[in-house]
Amino acid sequence: MSSSSTEAVVDVTMPQMGVSVSEGTVVGWRKQVGDWVAYEEPICDISTDKIDTEVPAPAAGRLTEQLVDVGATVQVGTVLARIATDATPGQPHASESEPEPPPVTSEAAAATGDSPAPSTAQPAPAPQARAPANGARRYSPVVQRIAEQHRIDLAQVPGTGRGGRVRKQDVLAYLESARPADAESAAPEPPLHIESPYRPETEAQPEPRPEPAAAPALPSGDGLSHMRRVIGEHMKRSLQTAATCTTWIAVDFSRVEAARRAAGTTALPLVARATVETLLELPALNATLEAESYTRYDDAVHLGIAVSLGEDGLIVPVIRDAQDLSAQGLAKRITDLARRARARELGVDEVHGGTFTITNPGQFGSIMATPVINQPQVAILDLEAVVKRPVVVTDADGDDALAIRPVCILGLSWDHRALDGALAAQFLAALRDRLQAIRPS
Amino acid sequence: MPTMTYLQAISDALRQEMRADERVFVMGEDIGVFGGAFKVTDGFIDEFGPDRVMDTPLAESGIIGTAIGASVVGLRPVCEMQFADFVSCGFDQLVNVAGKMYYRQGLPVNITVRLPSGGGFSGGPFHSQNHEAWFMHAPGLKVVAPSTAQDAKGLLIGAIRDRNPVLFLEHKHLYRRVRGDVPEGTFATPFKTRIARAGDELTIVAYGAMVHTALQAAEELEGASVEVLDLRSLVPLDEDAILQSVRKTSKVLIVDEANETCAAGAQVAALIADKGFEDLDGPIRRVATPDVPIPFSPPLEQAVLPSVDKVREAARELLEY
Amino acid sequence: MATQTASASQEAASGVRSEHLTLDDRVALLRYMLLMRGIEERAMNLYRQGKVPGSFYDGFGQEAVSVGSAFAMSPQDRLCVLHRDLGAHLVRGVEPARIFGQYMGRAGGVTAGRDGNVHFGDFRVGCVGMVSMLPDMMLVATGMAMAFKLRGEARCAITWFGDGSTSRGDFHEAMNWAGLQRLPVIFVLENNQYAYSTPLDQQFAVDPIERAAAYGFPGVKVDGNDVEAMFEATRLARERALAGEGPTLLEAVTMRMHGHAAHDDMKYVPAEQVEQWRRKDPIDRQESRVREAGADVGALRAEVQQVIDDATRAGLAMPMPDPATATDRLFYEPTDPREELLLGDGRAPWSGFGTAGEDRRR
Repeated sequence: MSSSSTEAVVDVTMPQMGVSVSEGTVVGWRKQVGDWVAYEEPICDISTDKIDTEVPAPAAGRLTEQLVDVGATVQVGTVLARIATDATPGQPHASESEPEPPPVTSEAAAATGDSPAPSTAQPAPAPQARAPANGARRYSPVVQRIAEQHRIDLAQVPGTGRGGRVRKQDVLAYLESARPADAESAAPEPPLHIESPYRPETEAQPEPRPEPAAAPALPSGDGLSHMRRVIGEHMKRSLQTAATCTTWIAVDFSRVEAARRAAGTTALPLVARATVETLLELPALNATLEAESYTRYDDAVHLGIAVSLGEDGLIVPVIRDAQDLSAQGLAKRITDLARRARARELGVDEVHGGTFTITNPGQFGSIMATPVINQPQVAILDLEAVVKRPVVVTDADGDDALAIRPVCILGLSWDHRALDGALAAQFLAALRDRLQAIRPS
Repeated sequence: MPTMTYLQAISDALRQEMRADERVFVMGEDIGVFGGAFKVTDGFIDEFGPDRVMDTPLAESGIIGTAIGASVVGLRPVCEMQFADFVSCGFDQLVNVAGKMYYRQGLPVNITVRLPSGGGFSGGPFHSQNHEAWFMHAPGLKVVAPSTAQDAKGLLIGAIRDRNPVLFLEHKHLYRRVRGDVPEGTFATPFKTRIARAGDELTIVAYGAMVHTALQAAEELEGASVEVLDLRSLVPLDEDAILQSVRKTSKVLIVDEANETCAAGAQVAALIADKGFEDLDGPIRRVATPDVPIPFSPPLEQAVLPSVDKVREAARELLEY
Repeated sequence: MATQTASASQEAASGVRSEHLTLDDRVALLRYMLLMRGIEERAMNLYRQGKVPGSFYDGFGQEAVSVGSAFAMSPQDRLCVLHRDLGAHLVRGVEPARIFGQYMGRAGGVTAGRDGNVHFGDFRVGCVGMVSMLPDMMLVATGMAMAFKLRGEARCAITWFGDGSTSRGDFHEAMNWAGLQRLPVIFVLENNQYAYSTPLDQQFAVDPIERAAAYGFPGVKVDGNDVEAMFEATRLARERALAGEGPTLLEAVTMRMHGHAAHDDMKYVPAEQVEQWRRKDPIDRQESRVREAGADVGALRAEVQQVIDDATRAGLAMPMPDPATATDRLFYEPTDPREELLLGDGRAPWSGFGTAGEDRRR
C-alpha cells in the first residue's frame, strides 16, 4: 500500500507490518494539523499484532488533515493523515490563519495509489456461441439430453443465450409451458365436470380443458412396445390370479374441494392422506398375497401412485412410509415422483414394495372404473372425475331439498381371496366419512 | 460458540489435539521459544515443553525425514514449513519416502505438514506460492485447504488424525482477515467439499483464499443464482459433490490462485469434461494466475492474481452464454 | 586416517576377538553370512534365467558389514536397511522364501510385488524398506532415534549407507540433526570403494570419518570384512547411544566384489584391487575362526544350502500378484481408529540378549 504522490497532497497510510497483518491502531500523534513535517520525521505511533512502531512522513510539508483518532484501529492502507507538500516552512500555522483547503486536483482524486492496473493476463476471449454458416443451430449436451428425454423439437425452442443459442433454461421453460397438466401435477386445477344427460340442443361454450397427455395410442405398424407387453402381462396375471371384485361409493367432495384450494394442491394428496389413515384402521386392505403367503401391514403404508407415461404406458412409483407424511408432504412427493417417472429417473427400489395403490385418471371426465389390482397387493383405489351433481340434502327438521355438490365416485377393486365385500364396503364408508369431514388446515 | 480468526483456529486445533493425545507434537523452525513466524504456536512451549514444541535446525528435508521416522515408531508429528515455498527443500522425503511407504511396504506414515501458503501482500516469488499441484500429483499424499476459521480447525484435526501423510495448506492472507464461529473442543471435518453458497445457474469452484474472492464476485452479480463450491480437500477430490453441482447448474467456472498449468483446477476441469459432459450448457472456464513467478511490486502482483473483478466478469460471460 | 575415540574400538578395528561372543554366536555370524551369499548367488542365477525382473543388486564380499552390525541390535531397536545389507534382514528373521518371492515380484514376496529387489523392509520385525534416493533413510533413522529419546526409551536406531551417498544433502542434515540432539542412532557408512563407477577420490575431498567430529560425535573406522569387529564396534556404539552419549559414525571399510548391479561388469575396477580384497573375504575369515574352535563347517554349509534350495522352490511356487490389486492400498484407512500399524520387534540372536532375543515376531 503506497501513499499517493501528486504535486500537492500526499497521503500517510497505515503500513503493513508483516505479511499477515491486516490492521493497526494509532496510539499517539506526534504532529498536529498545521505543523510542519520534515521528510521521514515521525508523524504518529502505531501498534499492530506483530510490532509497535512509528510512521515516518513520506514527504516534507505541512500536515493538513489528521483523519484517525488515537486509539482507533483501522485497516492497512487507510489514510491516516495528509501532507500539503506545496507549503513552505515559514507559513503561518493553521491556528493563526484561515486554513486553506488542500488543493485537491483531479489527479489527486484519481490517483490514490491502488487503482487496479490493467490486467496483464487477459483471460481468453469470451466464449462465442458461433452460429454455423449454414444456419443450423448447435445444442449443448445438457440441452440435447433434456430434449431427448421429453421428446422436444429443439427447432421450436426460442434461445436467449449468446447469439440466440438455446440455453438449458430455455428448454426447461419450454417444457414447463408445454407440459400437459395431469391430476398429479400442481399446475392448473382440473375443472369440475358438469354432467347431465339433459343437454339443450344449443351447445354452451365447452369449458377450457387442459391438453390431454399424448394419447396412449400404439405405435402403428410396429406391434406392442416392450413396456406395453410387460404391463399387459402384469394385468393379465393379476386378473387371472386374484378374485377381483369392485365396489363403489359416492363421496361429497365439497370439503375436499375447499381444502385443496386452500392448500394449493389437487385432490389426490388429500385422498391419499385419508386413504392412509383408513388403511391403518383397517389393515386387512393394506396387505400382500403371493401364492399362499399373506402379509398384512399394520403400521406402515407403502403407497403406490399410478403415473401415466403417455404412449409408453404407466408405472407405479411407491411412497414408502406414507403414514409419516402429511397431505402437503404427500403432495410434494407425488409431484416429484411423477416428474421423475416421466423423466425415467426412478430407481428400481422406487417401484417395488408397495402395500396399496391409488390410481387417479380422472382428468378426462370418466366417473367410474374397474381398476386392476397391482399384484401382489390385495386392493386398489380408483379416483375418477369430480362432477357437480344434484344431491338430496336433509335439513335438521328432516326436510329434503336439492343441492348442487361436487361428487366423486371412489372405486375399490379388491381380492376376494383375502377379504369379503363387507370389509371393502366398510373401508369405503370410512374413507368417505373422513373425506367429508375434512377441514382446510 | 467462540468467534476466532483463521489463525487462532489453527492454534486451537493444535492445542486441543496436543492436549488430547500425548503422541502429537509440533516441530519446525522458530516455533518453540519464538512462537512461530506467524505466532501460531505462541505460548505452546510453556504449556507443552520443548520436547513437544521442537525448534529444529534450518533443514526442511530433516524436518520431514525425522518426522517420518518418529511416526513409524508411534509418535504423531505435525511439521511446519515456515513458508509453504520451502517445502521444495523437503520434496524428496515427502514424495519418495512418505508418499510411497504404505503402498510399497504396508507401513503407514502418520505425519501432518503445515504449509503457510498463498500471496497477495508483496511476499514475492518465494513467499507467495500455492504448489499443491506438485503433491496432488504424488501418489500417497493427501492435500487439504481450508477457507474458513471453522474448517481451519476441523481440517487440521482431521489431518492429524488421518493415518496418512497430509499436507495442510493454510493461507497466510486469511490468517487474520477471516474470522468466524468455531466450535469448542475437538472435532474433525471430513475431507469433503462444502457448498459455500447455493445457487442453480452457475457453479464457481474454488478453495483457500479464492473462495472469498468467488463469494464476493457472486454477490456482485445481482440477480444471478451462483453456487460457490469450497473444495476443501484436493486429495481426495470430492468428485460426487463437484459433479452434482455441475448437474444442477450446467455451467462451471474454476478459480485457481496457483499457476494455471496443471493446477488443481485443471484436474477438476478434466474430471467435469470426462464425467459431466452431458450436464454442460457451456464450456468449462478457468480463472487462474498465469505461469509466472509471483512478482513483488503490488501492481504486478495484483495483475496476476485472480481478482474479484476478473472472476465476476468471467462468471458474467458464462452466465450469458 | 582414522578418527578414534575409546581404545576398545581400536582393538575391535584391529581384529581382536570380542569377549562378548560365544562359540554359538560366532557360528551364527558365519551362518548368516553364508545364507546371505547363498541367497544372492541363487538369485543372480535366477536373474540370468529371466525369473527376476528389473535389476538385481548384491552385497558380495560385504556380508560382514550387515550381519555383524545387525547382530548387535536388540529386539526393540529399529533398522533402516540398504541394498547390500541382506544379512540384516536375515538376522531379524525375514524368511528366505519370502526374499526370493520379493526378487521375483511374486504375491508372496515381502512387498507383494509393490517394490523390487532389495527395496523391502518387513516392518513387523522392525525394518524399514529403503528408497532409491540415498541417503534419505539416514533422516528416517534419525527420526526414530529422536522419538526414542523423547520418550526416554533405552533403544536405538541404525542405518546403513554408502560412500557415494555422503555427498548428498540428507547426509549433512542427518549428521547435523543427530549430533545436535545427541540422538541414539548408529550411522554405518559402508565404504566399499565405489559408488557405481565412481571411486572415492572422485566422491569427496575429505574422508567422511573425519567429518564426524564436525557434527559433534565420534567417527570410528572398522574392518568391514571382519564380522566380529563389526559386531563389536556396533555393540560399543549402541552402548554409547543408550548411555545418552549420542550418535556414532562407523565407517566399515570393505570392497564391492561384484558390479553395482547384475548389469554392471565393473571393468573400471583394477584387477589387483579385486584380488587383494578377495584374500580378505569375510566368509573365509570367519570360517577359519570357527573351524579352529571346533565347529563343523561342512555340516553348516550343507544345512544352509538346504534352506536355500527349499526357499527357492517355495519362492518359485508363489503366484504373481493379481493385476486387479495394482491400485489397492494407497492410503491406510483403518475402520477401528485404535488400530495401529507400527514397526514391531525383531529377532535378536546374540546370546547377550538372553531369551529376550528369541524370535519375537508376531
